[in-house]
Amino acid sequence: MSEQRPATTSPPPPLRRAPASGYIGGVCAGFAARLGIDPILIRIGFVLTLLAGGAGIPLYVIGWALIPAEGPERPVVSRLLTRRDTWLVAAGMACLTLAAVLLLRQWGVWFSDRLTWPLVIVAAGGALIWRQSQAAPEAREDKAQLPREAVNRVGIGVALVVGGALLFLSLNDSSVRDAVLPVAVALIAVTIILAPWWVRLVRGLDAERAARIRSQERAEVAAHLHDSVLQTLALVQKRADDPREVAALARRQERELRAWLNNTRPAGTATLAGALESAAAEVESDHHVPIEVVTVGDAPLDERATALVAATREALVNASKFAGPEPISLYAEVEDGRAEVFVRDRGPGFDPEAAPADRRGVRDSIIARMQRHGGTATIHSTPGTGTEVELVMSS
Amino acid sequence: MKRGRADRTLIVAGVATIALGALALLDQTGTIDVRFDYMLPAVLAAIGVVLLSAGLGE
Repeated sequence: MSEQRPATTSPPPPLRRAPASGYIGGVCAGFAARLGIDPILIRIGFVLTLLAGGAGIPLYVIGWALIPAEGPERPVVSRLLTRRDTWLVAAGMACLTLAAVLLLRQWGVWFSDRLTWPLVIVAAGGALIWRQSQAAPEAREDKAQLPREAVNRVGIGVALVVGGALLFLSLNDSSVRDAVLPVAVALIAVTIILAPWWVRLVRGLDAERAARIRSQERAEVAAHLHDSVLQTLALVQKRADDPREVAALARRQERELRAWLNNTRPAGTATLAGALESAAAEVESDHHVPIEVVTVGDAPLDERATALVAATREALVNASKFAGPEPISLYAEVEDGRAEVFVRDRGPGFDPEAAPADRRGVRDSIIARMQRHGGTATIHSTPGTGTEVELVMSS
Repeated sequence: MKRGRADRTLIVAGVATIALGALALLDQTGTIDVRFDYMLPAVLAAIGVVLLSAGLGE
């Protein structure tokens, strides 16, 4: 009985160049190893192709570029084409542009070598500078200085622009224009070099302005939520044993939030004085503290006046928490576009410098809010002598 | 080999090489007359397309 052994044919090794055992790039040795024959046979074939017109040379170069060498190294082409930088795009655009220029020249659509070639060189440099000036601004701001690669690219771009300008001047030497032409060319070159950075600066300023506006809007929303919803929730907790009052607080807060979301204004608050009196009445009702309101003069309730009313309301709420049974005084004076509001209480007072950092009422809803709208807020208070909040909004 | 960008780029490179080879073949057979003045832009365009494909692909 004969024993049948399973065929154990191992798969051929993958095609790899063998530079260590080869004479040039190891392409022939790699093919020999893949086919399992002596490398000398492949080399003889290569030499024969050289004798038959030299077709083996480009084939060898292609093999060297496409076939990976032994080890973990990737093929030359793969390493080149998977580089994550902008050189590939720049080089590709340069090749296409050069091809187009050569074709146009061949077809006769051409101004002059003295003009076109300097223009092409300057355009290439300008494109390089532009690309580098607009690339990855966030990543660059993290570093104290520009990365070396970026500096090199900009340097090459500047060199191309300057070189193109000099080439243009040397090709267009004319005694008539000697005085004017170099100056004009120098100005154009400087403009091409600096324009991308100027555009980047303008864009950066615009982005910074937009970010500042977004930040202010967030702060406005946060201050409004603090003054309305958070204050109401605190009152709800305080009055939890009185369901009717809690329901009334919730209804009023709902009305207020809806009016805010719809950007509508409650009736009777079309002017600054009216809005201040309305705010005082609300605080008086919610916190059960007497508030004496005196207003002198009036003004339309624009955006800045609305902020002044919101800050005043927050000052009244703060005072109502500490004033005790003594009435709170609200005095407002509007004259020549300047509005001054004073909120005084006779409570225990406090040291404004020692206020905890997490108390957002004074810091965000009063001081920061007034500053955002171009006004000022000053707290006059010492322990034991009460508190006066002075709010000033000038036109 | 990692699939994706490199594969697509190699395909573009292959198509460009075939196109250039076809041009050269037609020139050799006498079907068309491709002078160096036209072949050079064609080669440059092929290289440019391959580089752009590699640089812009993700």
